Amino acid sequence: MYEAVHAHPDGQSTVARLAKTAAEFSFEGVVVRNRADERAEFDAERIGDEYGIDVVEGIEIDADDVEQASGAVGNYRTDETIVAVAGGTPAMNRFAVENEKVDVLARPMAEGGDVNHVLAKAAVENGVRFEFDLSGVLRTHGGRRVRIIQSLRKLADIVGHYDAPYVVSATPRSHLELRAPRELAALGEQLGLSSSFVEAGLEEWGRIAERNRRIQSESFIEPGVERGRYEEEH
Amino acid sequence: MKHLPKHLRPRWRYLAVEIESWPDASIDRRAFQRECWYAGQNLLGDPGSARAELSVLQFEFSADAGVGEALVKVRHGWTDEARAALACIDEIDGQPVGVRVSGISGTIRAAEEKYLGRRGQDSEERNVVFGNEERVAVVRDESVDVRLDAAFAGTTDLDYDYDYDLA
Repeated sequence: MYEAVHAHPDGQSTVARLAKTAAEFSFEGVVVRNRADERAEFDAERIGDEYGIDVVEGIEIDADDVEQASGAVGNYRTDETIVAVAGGTPAMNRFAVENEKVDVLARPMAEGGDVNHVLAKAAVENGVRFEFDLSGVLRTHGGRRVRIIQSLRKLADIVGHYDAPYVVSATPRSHLELRAPRELAALGEQLGLSSSFVEAGLEEWGRIAERNRRIQSESFIEPGVERGRYEEEH
Repeated sequence: MKHLPKHLRPRWRYLAVEIESWPDASIDRRAFQRECWYAGQNLLGDPGSARAELSVLQFEFSADAGVGEALVKVRHGWTDEARAALACIDEIDGQPVGVRVSGISGTIRAAEEKYLGRRGQDSEERNVVFGNEERVAVVRDESVDVRLDAAFAGTTDLDYDYDYDLA
């Protein structure tokens, strides 16, 4: 299972500290999804080897408008393993689910954002995952938290009906905000998401990473074309 | 009052909980107990938190290192609910905390022996270069908490090797 984190300077802890804590919490990997203007410098391989955890390079595009987001997706797609787009407005949500270069639509329900059947169908077609962001359940209180839980349940209903792809994250910005997979699964159960649903959402990050690494590797030519044994030199 | 016959006594599970915060945080048992009950009440409601129990039996917190551990008593069959409630504790007295259930046992002694006292609480101060400035940091078990002007940054030994190479 993987967790998608914001590392220093986008968060309070460095990639190494988040990876160390996540490994202690028995995560298999962390996805670093800093925003474009708060990039972290790190050696993913070295950190991964030291703590025994997969460190995935990613980005979360948090743009003001669709044009800006579209440019950013084009810029970062070739370099980053996982490209997420921060949603929350009707325009950004729609842009993300209609763009097959986008892996994850992050926080679709934040700040009054909404998801409906049209977006769900587009997400299925383009393979864009909706994110279930549990940070609001973990770190807010009162009426705000009630509304966040309502929005997560609504998203779960829609995702369940269309069998749309999704990911789950607690969106930690420091090692203190990390929660172990079992805790998140137990929390999901209380929210009516079922623990297996949450676990599948945490595993999905790893599947995206694996798929995109294969596609971005040099041996991949295009879908359906693979370099075979006969290419070897004799 | 005479205590209940054995088959009528409630059965308990004991959750070993690891708590972490920034150095200098002061967290006492009462504050942690209050947060446990608040978190239980907010997530499980009054009936749920009454059934789950969530009382803190043991509590230890080292302010220097910013780490601690606790033993929380939970009614048998309510461990998942308790786990979910504990996960929602994000700060205690305004100080951000990380919380993790490190293990569950059926007796206090087993929980103590298996899950408590495993983490090093020894810490020391060290000068480090973070963000091109020299800072004071608290080091514990490869974790390095750097004191910034108004906050802390969480780092590890790995973040400093480059500086040693350059020096």
